Amino acid sequence: MTSPGGPPVRSSRADAGKIGRALVEELGPLTWDRHGPMAVANAERNQQLLRHGRSIAELRGTSIGRRDSAIVMATGPSIARRDPIAQIKSSGYDGALIAVDSAFGYCLRNGVIPDLVVTVDPHPTRIVRWFGDPALMQASPGDDDYFRRQDLDPRHADELRANREMLDLTSRHAKGVRIALSTSASEAVVRRVVDLGMDIYWWNPMHDDPDLPDSVSRRLIEMNGMPCINAGGNVGSASWMIADAVLGKRSVALVGFDFSYYADTPHSRTQYYREAIDLVGEENLDDVFMWVHNPYLDQWFYADPAYMWYRAALLDMARDADCETVNCTEGGIVFGDSIRFAPLSDFLAAERA
Amino acid sequence: MNELLKGNFQTKNQVTDSPAKEETLEDRFEREAKKRLGGSIAYVSKKKVMWDLKNEKK
Repeated sequence: MTSPGGPPVRSSRADAGKIGRALVEELGPLTWDRHGPMAVANAERNQQLLRHGRSIAELRGTSIGRRDSAIVMATGPSIARRDPIAQIKSSGYDGALIAVDSAFGYCLRNGVIPDLVVTVDPHPTRIVRWFGDPALMQASPGDDDYFRRQDLDPRHADELRANREMLDLTSRHAKGVRIALSTSASEAVVRRVVDLGMDIYWWNPMHDDPDLPDSVSRRLIEMNGMPCINAGGNVGSASWMIADAVLGKRSVALVGFDFSYYADTPHSRTQYYREAIDLVGEENLDDVFMWVHNPYLDQWFYADPAYMWYRAALLDMARDADCETVNCTEGGIVFGDSIRFAPLSDFLAAERA
Repeated sequence: MNELLKGNFQTKNQVTDSPAKEETLEDRFEREAKKRLGGSIAYVSKKKVMWDLKNEKK
């Protein structure tokens, strides 16, 4: 049972998500259908803009941050509830701070310049908002209500105001900030990042196994010569991979990696609400969302299929990583044999010791 | 033997044709709706970085 647009009210959480669990198995091909051709087309168009940056290979072995650790900041809903940047600032942490694109504004608003920003999603109009979209000033926000509904950064619910703020913050602070810019990025993102004078390091997202014949990933490397990095399905996991495999950090803390929603979040505030309704109808939304109990917090969270897929992929990648991964999100569903779940204060205290 | 297989052998079992299922409007709608549930970018199992084509690394 679901209250229309309201919080989930199903009594048996373990029974929920039957359709969602089946969809998780299909997320690989579905993701290719959704974004693959767009990402490749963007890479082909970005070919003529590579001169504005360098290969991410140049970050390999460089000392970013004064420690062999990093904090990777994503923007799950725990960011608004836990405000981890306050703790990070007061601790005097001097390791690397890596921010996903949507966390850039949160950092800048709090007077923190991240050591590296990462972007990968090829969406043509949404992602540029995280850098401030100059085109939005002359236009109405339009039919896409993603930002008005999303829980990543509540400030973006007032789209024009948030955009003005991002335009102002980035125009004052983004120049010279390193960005790991995926070749899959949209024209709007690349144009904005170039105009801001950010320090660009290009990379290709891995679309398929480069060892396979006719691999798309291999074709991209042949085309532009940039390293191909396994992005794990999303920008947060891509940022973690860069911390581990490019920067060679030995200990990586995650904040804002919820990959889920708090139990009191209405379905209407979730990332794929409209898509889920189109697929199963509002009355069956409980069959799409899956509940997970977090034993560290003794708290329930729910996830859509994409989040469950991201979770499984990140746990899988962390098993093969050289670094230790500590999830300091203090919320959500990212924990398992390969990722330790701990309070951010513990990680920061260990770094001070 | 029917016309499905042509060769110089006999099949052990009867080979029957199953006509391809025609995609309905509902199927197509479901496929399009599912597509929009996809993630941001691909995930490739058991891979990390390929730096270049000369010095390939897992």
